Amino acid sequence: MIKEQFFNKWVFLLLLIIPAIGIIFNEPYYITLATKVIILGIAGIGLNLALGYGGLISFGHAAFFGIGGYVAAIMSKHALNGELLFEIPLAISGTSEMLIIWPLAIIISAFFSLLIGLLSLRTSGVYFIMITLAFAQMLYYFSISWPSYGGEDGLSMHMRNTLPFINTMNPLNFFLICLVWFFIAIFITSKLINSPYGMALQATKQNEERVKSVGIETFKVKLIVFVFSGAITGLAGSLYADLNRFVSPSMLNWHTSGEIMVFVILGGIARIYGPLLGAAFFIILEQTLGLYTENWQFWLGLILILEILFARSGIMGLFDKKINYE
Amino acid sequence: MNNQILNITNLSKSFGAFKVTDQITIDLKFNEIHALIGPNGAGKSTLIKQIVGTVKHDMGSIILDQEDITDLNDVERAKIGISRTFQVSSIIPKFTALENIVLSLLEKSQKTFQLFKSLNSNSKLFSEAKEILLQIELEDRSKVIASELSHGERRKLEVGLALAMKPKVFLFDEPMAGLDEIGTKMMINLFQRIKLNSPILLIEHDMDAVFALADRVSVIVYGKIVATGTVEEIKANPIVHDVYLGYEIT
Repeated sequence: MIKEQFFNKWVFLLLLIIPAIGIIFNEPYYITLATKVIILGIAGIGLNLALGYGGLISFGHAAFFGIGGYVAAIMSKHALNGELLFEIPLAISGTSEMLIIWPLAIIISAFFSLLIGLLSLRTSGVYFIMITLAFAQMLYYFSISWPSYGGEDGLSMHMRNTLPFINTMNPLNFFLICLVWFFIAIFITSKLINSPYGMALQATKQNEERVKSVGIETFKVKLIVFVFSGAITGLAGSLYADLNRFVSPSMLNWHTSGEIMVFVILGGIARIYGPLLGAAFFIILEQTLGLYTENWQFWLGLILILEILFARSGIMGLFDKKINYE
Repeated sequence: MNNQILNITNLSKSFGAFKVTDQITIDLKFNEIHALIGPNGAGKSTLIKQIVGTVKHDMGSIILDQEDITDLNDVERAKIGISRTFQVSSIIPKFTALENIVLSLLEKSQKTFQLFKSLNSNSKLFSEAKEILLQIELEDRSKVIASELSHGERRKLEVGLALAMKPKVFLFDEPMAGLDEIGTKMMINLFQRIKLNSPILLIEHDMDAVFALADRVSVIVYGKIVATGTVEEIKANPIVHDVYLGYEIT
């Protein structure tokens, strides 16, 4: 069996090869595809923290993905038209600076994760799933009925937000920016799960009653991971908005939550690179089967059924059968 | 009163019309093992759950070390010094035996919410955990995944988890169930040592072990305490014979 860490290196190499092919054959589309995979992979890493390591089956992560996206698009819109974002209590204008937008997307997504987590984590199982789904759908319908920012039609961005000294419109530059964020997300996840807190988190997933009996506040443990998870997914949303230069309510829809969950399950739950593999597999299916049929998701469904029946540890698990805390 | 660390007064719990615990008054003194015996379904485990806070009481009070903990939740009670084992082994199945003990040490060492420091850099935690494994004679099984431990080893691990918390009192719910003779002897020796630091409220069906260990014994039947006394007093109590022991004690 190939060890997970060895396999991760191959995944990393593959990530670099795809844009290289794009450059060699002058096909920027490949670079864009690889960028999309990385961004969706980051969203999956966010969900994997809560779902994979914390056992929190959130069906509302589209909310954080969409919030991140709308933060990027709204700031950009106000930067372009010069209108103030708020006048009271402080006059705040928009900006197209990624260095401001990223932290803002992270903070606002984290804030919403905190609010949603405070209410939803008092439940468990199917109730938790339904509450997270309900919150995301509330935000989805809110975005539809928000004409100032495009309503149902969504909101276009004139150009990508900017970064000092870097042309973010260049596909390769933007790919590298996303790659850096990907590794930051991996680094944070890795640090969290290997810390004493990570131990408490993974134990809570397995046997919450026992963890409580040793004096650990499991509610706090779950809330922290939910906030980190939402913040990372929100960051992915802001990158996704910049990639497409467009946001729409579909980013907040439950379909998006389902897709992020599919990345995690396909790649391997509680595998650090799993969501990236899942996202890559998903995009490959979309790009290949999508050429032949509009209903390519039928085959995705079939693959998911087979995976759940025969390979629950996902693609990563096929290469490394180590016991994990799944 | 002063030599009592745990004082339970009139603790009651009903599920519908069924009184599981009925005005139970019981105490635990420093340096003692107080055994709670009774037939199955008498309310022993429910009493433990009420003391640790996982089952809400209908009435009564619980005082631990002169502090009223009646209104505290289960986590708060564990934090201030109530440590338990479960009737059916409850461990972290995919952690190793060593990791299970480390988990139990986290809260006392205030490391639970260290978010970015590597767990492996906490060498003190691991050495403490190894010492506990030594006490429960599982040191050579430290790297075994807990779900792969035998039943007896899991019972020992449960006790190890409780020990790691360095509590004010131990509540042990049938810790010797399923242990072989050597395991039972080990537990008896261990309990006799640890009671000097933290007294033990012990539920146990192995009467030999109870009579070897207990400083006092209380008998619970249909949710009521019917007798409390030393081992000799309980052995000689005819009511206890009628309702529980059912045989002549020699």
